[in-house]
Amino acid sequence: MALSVRIFIFMLGIVLFIMIFELVRKKKFREELSIVWLIIGVALIFSSFADRVIDPLAHKLGFGYPPALVFVIISFLLVLALLYFSIVVSDLKGKNKELSQKIALMEYKLSKLYQEKE
Amino acid sequence: MIIPVYNEEACLASVLNDVKNSNLNTDVLVVNDGSTDNTSEIAKQAGVKVLDIPFNMGYGLAIQTGFRFATEYGYDFVITMDGDGQHDPSFAKNLIEAMHREEADVVIGSRFLERTYKMGIARRIGVWLFSKIARFYTGMKFTDPTSGFQLLKRRVFLYLSKGDNYPLDYPDVNIIMALYKMRFKVIEAPVRMFEKSKGKSMHSGLGPLIYIVRMFLAIIMVFLRKEE
Repeated sequence: MALSVRIFIFMLGIVLFIMIFELVRKKKFREELSIVWLIIGVALIFSSFADRVIDPLAHKLGFGYPPALVFVIISFLLVLALLYFSIVVSDLKGKNKELSQKIALMEYKLSKLYQEKE
Repeated sequence: MIIPVYNEEACLASVLNDVKNSNLNTDVLVVNDGSTDNTSEIAKQAGVKVLDIPFNMGYGLAIQTGFRFATEYGYDFVITMDGDGQHDPSFAKNLIEAMHREEADVVIGSRFLERTYKMGIARRIGVWLFSKIARFYTGMKFTDPTSGFQLLKRRVFLYLSKGDNYPLDYPDVNIIMALYKMRFKVIEAPVRMFEKSKGKSMHSGLGPLIYIVRMFLAIIMVFLRKEE
């Protein structure tokens, strides 16, 4: 990989990492959810050094331009990250459902109790 | 009787009045699925039981909340009916008769057994296709599996009230198939339905294509999931 490309990918990785780190520090981003994004940032940073692995692997797989392989790998990691967040949303939706039903039933009981008191 | 409603202030009063006049001798529970209008107040004024779900979560969730209520307060039978005035509550007697006659666990009120009913062509194809699949699986013909007009025995709604046994959005042939798998007897009985006069019904809005893909997934899951 050309040095300029490596520096560019490295910088992107650093920026992403710092951004997420700051969000977690300011408590705007939950730690357990941030891990996925931190991994992507670290993967970017390392991929800029990993030309010993990336270059031969890219040639073996038939990539004419090695950085393209980096982006394929990163894209795949992004898809995994999105999948992870979909699972989180799905789980939250299920919990939301339970909560909304419990609230509705409890509100009914509460209003009955009040009525009996009066 | 469970009536799920979402922003039905225009129709609800007359629906509840019809129920009252139908001599059904049943408790009425309105499940308000996070309406933003006066639906809840209208129901409370009518003197029926009201459950208020804090936000709009979907038709299926409203029905399931009703099932949970019925389970908790020891009801033996539940009738579900839409709150938009498309169902005629006097036909609930047909469902009850059919349940006694056939010793069924679930009776689904079908609009197609009585007379034709207009709907979009894509939707019609979907309904036709999935009723074929249900027929293949259960050996019975279901002409109107999405009907919200149903009569259920306690052991059925007890099962459906648990966890994810009932969908958040619209139940369809997948639920009929799941009930069949649980060895409940599900039959149909004719009812009259009115075309929806005003407002957006709970059965619209979903793209027919998404509907068909979703139903296929749901049906495959019925086959794959283990019996509990």
